[in-house]
Amino acid sequence: MKHFSITSLFLSLFGLLFILSCEENNTYIQSLEDPVLFNESMQQLSDVIVYDIFSPPVASRVYMYPTVAAYSIMQQAFPEKYEDLEGQISGFTSIPSLSDPKVNPHLAAIHAFLKVGTALIFSENKMDSYREALYEKLEEEGLPSAVKEASLAYGEAVAAHILGWADTDFYKQTRTYPKYTIQEGTAFWKPTPPDYMEGIEPHWNKIRTLVLESADQFEPAAPYPVDMDKNSPFYKELLEVYELGEKIDGSTEATQIASFWDCNPYVSHHRGHAMFATKKITPGGHWIGITKIATTQAASSFDETVHAYTRVSAALFDGFISCWNTKWNKLIVRPETLINEFLDETWLPLLQTPPFPEYTSGHSVISRAAAVALTDIYGDNFAFEDTTEEVYGLGVRSYPSFLAASEEAAISRLYGGIHYRRAIEEGVKQGEAVGNYQVSKLKTLK
Amino acid sequence: MSLHPTYKKGPILKKWTLLLFTATLLIACNKEIEKGPIYFEALSPTQTGIDFTNSLEPTSDLNIIEYLYFYNGAGVAIGDLDNDGLEDVFFTGNQVQDQLYKNLGELRFSNITASAGILNSDSWSNGVTMADVNNDGLLDIYVSVVGQYKSLKGHNKLYLNKGDMQFEEVSKEVHLDFSGFGTQASFFDYDNDGDLDVYLLNHTVHTPRSYGKIDKRSEKDLLSGDRFYENTLETGVLDFKEVSAEAGIFSSPLGYGLGLATADFNKDGFIDIYIGNDFHENDYLFLNNGDKTFKEVSKQMISHSSRFTMGLDVADLNNDAQLDIFSLDMMPDQAKILLKSGGEDTDKVAQIKSNFGYQPQYSRNHLQLNNGRGAFKEIALLTQTYATDWSWSALIEDFDNDGQSDIFISNGIYRRPNDLDYINYMSNVNFSQYQQNQQDALEKKLIEEMPQLHIGNVILRNEGQMIFSKYSQEAGLNNTYSNGAAYSDLDLDGDIDLLINNINSPAQLLENTTNPQNFVGFQVSPSAEVPNTQGAKISVYSQDKVWYKEVTASRGFASASSQNIHFGLGQKNRIDSVHIEYLGGKKQRFTNLKANQYHKIDSQTAQFTQIKPQIIYEATESFPFTHTENTYYDYEREPLMLEKLSIEGPAYVFEDFDGDGLKDLYLGAAKYQESSYFKQNENHSFSRIPSEAFLEDALYEDVDAAAIDYDNDGDLDLYVMSGGNDSPEGDIQLADRLYINNGLGQFTRSAAVLPKSNGGSISVADFNNDGYDDLFLGSRSMPGAYGVAPYSVILKNTQKGNFELLDRVEFGMITDSAWGDLNSDGFLDLVLVGDFMPVTVLMNQQGVRFENQTIALGLEHSSGLWNTLALEDLNGDGRLDILAGNAGLNMKLTASVEAPVVLHLADFDANGQIDPVFFYDYEGQHIPFATKDQLAGQMPLIKKKFTSYEAFSKVRSLKQLFDLIPEDTETKKIEELRSMVYLNQTSGFQGQPLPRAAQMSSIEDFHYEPVTERLYYVGNYKGYVTQLGQTTANPGGVLSEFKQGTFTQHKELPIAPFEEGRALVKLPENKLLILYNNSTAVTLNLTQLQ
Repeated sequence: MKHFSITSLFLSLFGLLFILSCEENNTYIQSLEDPVLFNESMQQLSDVIVYDIFSPPVASRVYMYPTVAAYSIMQQAFPEKYEDLEGQISGFTSIPSLSDPKVNPHLAAIHAFLKVGTALIFSENKMDSYREALYEKLEEEGLPSAVKEASLAYGEAVAAHILGWADTDFYKQTRTYPKYTIQEGTAFWKPTPPDYMEGIEPHWNKIRTLVLESADQFEPAAPYPVDMDKNSPFYKELLEVYELGEKIDGSTEATQIASFWDCNPYVSHHRGHAMFATKKITPGGHWIGITKIATTQAASSFDETVHAYTRVSAALFDGFISCWNTKWNKLIVRPETLINEFLDETWLPLLQTPPFPEYTSGHSVISRAAAVALTDIYGDNFAFEDTTEEVYGLGVRSYPSFLAASEEAAISRLYGGIHYRRAIEEGVKQGEAVGNYQVSKLKTLK
Repeated sequence: MSLHPTYKKGPILKKWTLLLFTATLLIACNKEIEKGPIYFEALSPTQTGIDFTNSLEPTSDLNIIEYLYFYNGAGVAIGDLDNDGLEDVFFTGNQVQDQLYKNLGELRFSNITASAGILNSDSWSNGVTMADVNNDGLLDIYVSVVGQYKSLKGHNKLYLNKGDMQFEEVSKEVHLDFSGFGTQASFFDYDNDGDLDVYLLNHTVHTPRSYGKIDKRSEKDLLSGDRFYENTLETGVLDFKEVSAEAGIFSSPLGYGLGLATADFNKDGFIDIYIGNDFHENDYLFLNNGDKTFKEVSKQMISHSSRFTMGLDVADLNNDAQLDIFSLDMMPDQAKILLKSGGEDTDKVAQIKSNFGYQPQYSRNHLQLNNGRGAFKEIALLTQTYATDWSWSALIEDFDNDGQSDIFISNGIYRRPNDLDYINYMSNVNFSQYQQNQQDALEKKLIEEMPQLHIGNVILRNEGQMIFSKYSQEAGLNNTYSNGAAYSDLDLDGDIDLLINNINSPAQLLENTTNPQNFVGFQVSPSAEVPNTQGAKISVYSQDKVWYKEVTASRGFASASSQNIHFGLGQKNRIDSVHIEYLGGKKQRFTNLKANQYHKIDSQTAQFTQIKPQIIYEATESFPFTHTENTYYDYEREPLMLEKLSIEGPAYVFEDFDGDGLKDLYLGAAKYQESSYFKQNENHSFSRIPSEAFLEDALYEDVDAAAIDYDNDGDLDLYVMSGGNDSPEGDIQLADRLYINNGLGQFTRSAAVLPKSNGGSISVADFNNDGYDDLFLGSRSMPGAYGVAPYSVILKNTQKGNFELLDRVEFGMITDSAWGDLNSDGFLDLVLVGDFMPVTVLMNQQGVRFENQTIALGLEHSSGLWNTLALEDLNGDGRLDILAGNAGLNMKLTASVEAPVVLHLADFDANGQIDPVFFYDYEGQHIPFATKDQLAGQMPLIKKKFTSYEAFSKVRSLKQLFDLIPEDTETKKIEELRSMVYLNQTSGFQGQPLPRAAQMSSIEDFHYEPVTERLYYVGNYKGYVTQLGQTTANPGGVLSEFKQGTFTQHKELPIAPFEEGRALVKLPENKLLILYNNSTAVTLNLTQLQ
């Protein structure tokens, strides 16, 4: 009896276990369907970009390649919905086709995204631990090992394909190109206080464009010639920056706008020997954040979310190349340099002057290009609350449309004391041209 | 006044102390530390009665973020306040009260702060000094404080000594109650009127604008500008009148004054001022004009100075009776800390500062050796005194009485904000947690995360010949956060003791227990003849030795040391004579003073004498040729290079071109500058003859040139080698040029197609004895590929008006070449030198071919940064010896066969550009020379591999730097940095270094005079990257007395101190022409020199 009962207990326990494991845990599928997962992975990439201190143009490259990797897998999964990018973006060839039915395309897309991202940032361990934790969670939610293995293998292959493509974009070569040699003469850009940092990416126009035919395809109108004659249009703009700076104090909305759109990845603070840096997302990162807000608000699906990020990161990427081409050809001096030299030695811009030439305003160009892309997808008059800068203690701002947000991002640079008005107005036009060109040339949706 | 300490400790106590002491050492490092040749015993507060701690507690109002000098610490002053022969002690406290201690003898002290009338101040005291401001024979006390800043309200204090250890604070009454950012003061008599005037050293606090142009120096800042006050005591009233502007003293917001010394640097009888400024502002050297004004001459007298100058001291370090300057900075001496700390400016920032008008500064200690001719030679690298980490007080004294001055350095930073991980990663705050009203919490977090580091105080012991050894624990010194420090023979036992003011730990009295040697000491007292003895100069002579000091109090950091004069005499126990000279010119001489005791000198017997030595500063005449280098920053293209390769030249040829029997001079200019042809006239003067051909070719940079009868028409043609690093190899701008002479010294450029490379050296000789000139053309570099050896060629004259290639070999980065018959076989051999290559000897095989016999001849390990070579028979054995000029020993790089500098060359990041990666030995560790940021700038994979500076700081090999090392990685070495003589022996070449005095800078050219057997040389080089620093301590010298393989006598040439000599040309009338890079050539009359 006793013996039997123990056996039966064992048996029934076994049976119970069997039944339990037969009741398949499929919650992982819902998790993988949820665009939140992709948003979180994008956030992780943004965080590491901030931590590793990538400059704005380089950050746009770190956003673009992983996003295209994810998009290409979505295109393989939903060929009826999305266009292949081969022939549409420079140097790109179709990724290996998705044939293994075990592959969960969402997981593969996440994996490819994180793998390409990890290759492009520095702090790999931060990406690795995020990825491992994510997969552990999915496994707890029942992700079968066969699905995991197949998805990761495919994601891995796509990542390799994308990295091979990225490798030929001339990024590596430009690392060894000469730095900017300071040019004599009032008109030319010079490094600015407090760190007098080396000019950022003077050869970014050598980077292979994505949709644009060349870096100089959309050259803006020429800047006003630097002229310290009091009646010159340039001088009037310089004076505008100076006088605005004098007027602005912490309480005005202009100040809040300038700070909200500062997006400086590395602001250094000096207190004698004590020096520390505050880091924020790049301007590109800010628009990646707005994309997250838009896709969430529009209840976009996983693949639609990836698509939106792809269009925005493509716009940012080409926007930076176009803008940087202008900056390092025009070499226009920053207002801080001239105001300190000619008007007021103690004048400080509200924002720390970023380390590259003034004309055109990067914020204006890339914000407009990104807003055009988002408007193309979600339409104009898409009102939203921008919470992107909340983690940096900068509060929330509301906009009636993407274009309105881009307008504010542009003018914020004047309020910040780091740009003349013309660089903003012409920058917006330049961004508009880049954005519209992408809209007309880059066919993503079928 | 016994020689040995008479202080008796209780036997039990002593035993316990020793036991405790031993135990501490045992715990500290598991083995007993061997006592060094200098040793101090730390006495406890119970032993000494000194119980003072400069305790610091950050508040929301005052902390290192709100006040940058929060952790600078405070000072200590020593002086005999009651004239009882024993020196008393005053400590300043930042947040704690200042304290005064009376010396009771036998190293016991009593705290008399309250009874003496020292105020229970709530102000932030920094520096303290002692001086007799009213000439009553009693030392008064002056305290510098921070006031009018945040909650700090105090003002500087003058405690007038009323006798019997009673003091009265009278700063308001005499107008020395300055309230601002006081660091320290020094009292001295600037107009030799018998009373003490005062310099107030103040510091500024950072504005967001981190630096501006130097014309800001002329602005006045009421709180942080330095001040100078004249004492009106000579009119009968003790009062101080501010005369900063009238006297030419800067009172600007630029000055971060932390170091101060007042002394007569040029020995003209008037006291000068040296100011050490932190950060971008240069140090100041104010020379006293003798008419109540000063002239700031740092640019003229100093080539470069410490960047973060903290404390400093001024004294004679090499027994030449000239005052040298030692200023402290913060370069870590541990490799690991070095690699993760902020260091030198980037080349770009250095360039911007230079454009703003600043002189070069390097973030390391600087030892400025006074040459006695109006300039200082900076030799901290040569003497290995340049890195002692975060250092505050420097005190120069002879701590072991061996006759040579040593240096004590106090060290430590309570919070180390220059940690690069801290700046870039750890200090990064989550701002969403800190709203604007939480500034305090934010600062607290920022401060708490700032790393701390204990660093040992050190003694740099002078081993003679200005070679220093570093001792810390071995000298009984420990790891504290030490700031102010002062010395004195507190127990009058003949050796110098130390007092140190520490942050958050008790002040220390270090009793000197070094084995006794001979000494002599002086206390110079005022009299009716000499009302104040500040500034008195004391020289002691014993046989061939001289010791020299001036009476001055403020030295170190925020501190003032004994005003008694002490000299260690080493083995000498007899003094020949003692000379004392007071300000104003009165002198005394004593011949009967004994060693090993203190002498009280009564200045009453001082008298005027009129002997002024004549100093020859410079004995040159200018020559009408100015070399003007174009501006090109090589390192903006090749950030990992060690030096510019675009600033070679000028080139010259001195030959008879017009056939009149007199040699004419071709001087090759820099890019954008026309080269010059000078015809020699019958009276040996030179006349410049304009040349159309040279004007047309001004675009070329001439780096070397030679005369050669190219067309075999009997006159000499001119071959000019072009150079530059701004165009690629093969570019037309690098084309060599040949100018055909019409026999009258008129030149036309030949159409011959010549090499286009960055030229290094050309040498002409008939190597096959066929009567026709052959050529060696050595290349300096591959433009854009620093470190790679370019091809050099040997060309044989075909006798038909052209040349054929005999050899094309990648010998190295050639800088010089010379032909000479080294083995007396009747054929000329070829010797080559350059960078990362040995002195290379190509032996001529019967005029047919050349064999590289470098290794066989014993020169294998002679790889250096060679600049020049000459072949001369130095020992008269009929064989040509090799003189080779190298970078010298005053370099951050050190090199030997055992521990060479290693250059790894490969395309480590596979992007098509060669990456030169240097490793060198630093304090026994093999580390990368470039910083992590520099390496990552060229190779982003470094950023990926090392996500923290901490990780990078552990790199000790190429393997640890790169995961993948390409197979074709080339490795080159520097094993020798000294300039050498290689004696041509039957067994091969035997190397002997030139004397140490000739190793203070690079040697760029030699000229040997066979008749007088004198060797002249010139040098100095400013083209190194900022990380390495310019080497400018020796513009040139003359060597003589060749004995046992090298020259034994050295004399400096009386030429401009910091120019970069490139070539020496012997002109008629015993004149030597010195050609400078980027400056005007000069001639030196050798007859007048002898």
